[in-house]
Amino acid sequence: MKIVAFAQNQYRKFPDDFQDRHEGTVTTPYALAEPGEVRAAFRDYLDYIMQAARSGFDGVAFTEHAQTSYDMIANPSLIGSAIGYATETEGLDVAVYPVGRSLGKAREPVRVAEEYAMIDCISGGRLMAGFPVGLMFDAAINNGVPPIEVRRRYEENLRLILRAWRDPEPFAWNGRFTQLPSVNIWPRPLQRPLPVWITGVGNPATMRLVLENNFGFNYFGWFGSELTARRVFDRFWEIADELDAPANPNRMAFMASVCVGETDEEAERVYGPHLEYFLNKGPGATQLGKLAIPGGISLPGIRFLLEDQAGDFGFAHEMRHADIERILEVGAAVVGSPDTVAERLIGIARDFRVGNLVTMLKMGSMPRDLVEENVARFAESVLPRLREAGVGDDWPHRWWPERLGGTPEPAGAKLDALAGAA
Amino acid sequence: MAGIELGERAVEVWGGRLAMRFRTAGSGPPLVYLHPAAGLHFDPFLEALSADWTVIAPEHPGTGGGDADAIHAVDDLWDLVLIYDEAIRALDLEGPVAAVGQSFGGMMAAELAAHAPGLFERLVLLAPIGLWREDLPIANWIMTPPEELPALLFRDPQCAAARAMFAPPEDPGEALAATAGLIWALGCTGKFVWPIPEKGLAKRLHRIAAPTLIVWGENDALIPSAYAAEFGARIAGSRVEILPECGHIPQLERGAETLEIVRGFLAG
Repeated sequence: MKIVAFAQNQYRKFPDDFQDRHEGTVTTPYALAEPGEVRAAFRDYLDYIMQAARSGFDGVAFTEHAQTSYDMIANPSLIGSAIGYATETEGLDVAVYPVGRSLGKAREPVRVAEEYAMIDCISGGRLMAGFPVGLMFDAAINNGVPPIEVRRRYEENLRLILRAWRDPEPFAWNGRFTQLPSVNIWPRPLQRPLPVWITGVGNPATMRLVLENNFGFNYFGWFGSELTARRVFDRFWEIADELDAPANPNRMAFMASVCVGETDEEAERVYGPHLEYFLNKGPGATQLGKLAIPGGISLPGIRFLLEDQAGDFGFAHEMRHADIERILEVGAAVVGSPDTVAERLIGIARDFRVGNLVTMLKMGSMPRDLVEENVARFAESVLPRLREAGVGDDWPHRWWPERLGGTPEPAGAKLDALAGAA
Repeated sequence: MAGIELGERAVEVWGGRLAMRFRTAGSGPPLVYLHPAAGLHFDPFLEALSADWTVIAPEHPGTGGGDADAIHAVDDLWDLVLIYDEAIRALDLEGPVAAVGQSFGGMMAAELAAHAPGLFERLVLLAPIGLWREDLPIANWIMTPPEELPALLFRDPQCAAARAMFAPPEDPGEALAATAGLIWALGCTGKFVWPIPEKGLAKRLHRIAAPTLIVWGENDALIPSAYAAEFGARIAGSRVEILPECGHIPQLERGAETLEIVRGFLAG
C-alpha cells in the first residue's frame, strides 16, 4: 500500500464572511491578498511537502488550479521540478505526483510533455504523471476553450503527449486542435513507460478511458465519501469487471483530508475551523454552474445528472456553509485520534479496493505549527498501521515508478487505436 | 404551440456526414427562420408569420429531435455557414427567400447573407449577436443561472410571454427532457461563439446585399440596443427599429408591434 501526502496552497487570511461575498475562483478580488501572507503561504506549502518526504511517505502530490484562491498553484510543474530536485539532493526516494496538468484546457500540449519529462529527469525517474480533464471553468473561462470541445481536446492532447514521450523518431502531428510539423522533445522521460494517473469525479466515460488504457484512477473524497464513495468505487470496479481488467487495488487512489489529534474530541476542536475554512472558502465557494457549463457534459450525461439528483456530487451544494459536524457526517474528511483515523482509512482501503491513499494533511487556514504536528503524528502513529494493513501488497503495482519498486506497463494503447480508426 | 401543424423536412449535407432537420409551417413564399441559442421553439410570432409565409426553420446540428452527436461533425463557424448554405439550397425553395434570425440565429442569418449574397431576398435580424464593443460587453447567457434568465431576456420578467416561455411542462419526463435539451442546445450553439461572441462578423457585414431590417428592444439586457446602430452602419441601406419597453426578444415581448414591422418590411 502506498501513502502519499498532498496539499493545496490556499490563501489563509480571508475574512470570516468571505464566502458570503465572493467566489473562491475566477473573480476573487486580489485586493484581499496581503503579499507577505502570499509569500509565507508558498514557503509553508513547500516546507510541508518536504516534511512529508522526510517522514516516510511513499510519495508527495500537488496539483494545478488557475485563477483560484484556494490553490495558488497555477502550474504544478514548477512545484514538481523544485520538489524533484530537493528530494533528489536529500536522497529521499518518494514518488513525485503532480495530480494535474489539466489537458482539457492545454493549448501547448507539447510543452506539458516537455515539463513532465524534465521533472522525471530532475527527480531521477520518480514522476507519476497526472492528467485530469480538469475543471470546466478552468478550461472554458480561464482558457477560453468552448465547453463542448474540452473532452475532445483532452483526449487529443493526451494522445499527443504519450506519443511525444514514446516515439523515438520525430513525427508530424495533424490534430484537430494542434498541428505541428515535427515533434521531437528533449529530454524525453527517463521512465519507459511512465505511470499515468487520471483524476475523475465519477463519469463512467472517464473510468472506461482509464481502464482501457491502463492508467491509474484517482478519486477525491471532498464531496463526502459517505455519500459518494460507494456508488463511485462500485461503478469503477463494475466497469473494470466488464472490461476484464484485473481488480488490482493499486490502480486506484483515494484522496482524503486527514486530521490527526490526540483524541477525537481534540482533533475536531483543533482542526474543525480549518476544515470549515478550506471547504467553505475553497471548493464550496464555487458556483456549481462553473463546473457544469452547457456543452461540457454530453446530452446523455445531462439526463443522468438531472435524473440522479447529481448524487455523484454528494454535499457539494452545501459546502459553502457546511460546519464541522456536517463535514464529518458526510465523510468529507477523516478526523480523530490516531486509532480512529487509521481504522477509518483502512476501512476505506479495504472496502473499496484502494491501494494508494493520498492524504491531505494541510488544508484551509491551518497554521504552520499545526501542519507540522499533523504530519508528524500521522507519520508516527497512523502510517505504520496502514502499511501493516497492506492493501494491494499482494498485487503488482503497475502504476508506480520502477525505481521505487513499481512495475509499470505501457499505457494509452486504446486511445491510439481509436484515433487510428477515426 | 397552440394547435399549429408542424411539418418536417430533412436533407443530407456535408458529404453525407450530417442530416439537417427543418420544421415547417404555413403556406406562401418561403421564409427561413434561424433560431436562437436555446434551440427552436415555434412561438406565436412564427405561427402568425405562417399565415402568409411558408416558415422553414432548420435545427442547429445536435439540437432538437436529431442526433445529439451531430454537432461533432461541425468543427468551426466556417463549416457551420457552409452547412447551412448547403442545407438551404438543398431544399430547392421556390421564389424569393426571406430570412429571419433571432439572437444567435440573427448572427447566423447575417453570416449566411454575407457569405452568399443572393441567397436571401430580404433579411430580418432580431437582436443579433456577432459584434463586440469593449464599452458594451454582452452578457454570458450560456453561464447565466436558469433563475436569472427571465430578467436577462425580458424587460418585464413577469409578462405573460416570459411566464409562458419558462413554464416547465407538467409531465416530469417531458420537463427533464426539455431542460436537458435546452442545456445541450446552449452547448451546441455556444461552440461557435465561446468565449466572446465575436468571430469577425464586423469584417463581413459589408457583403450583405439583401435589404435588411434590424429590430431591437430598447432595454435588451443581453445585448445592449446600441448594437443596433453598429449593425445598421455596416449594412448598406438597412433600416433599424428600436422598440421601447422591450428586452432581448421583441417578437415575444412586443409581439404585435414586431409582427407589424416585420410584415410591412417583408411585404416590401
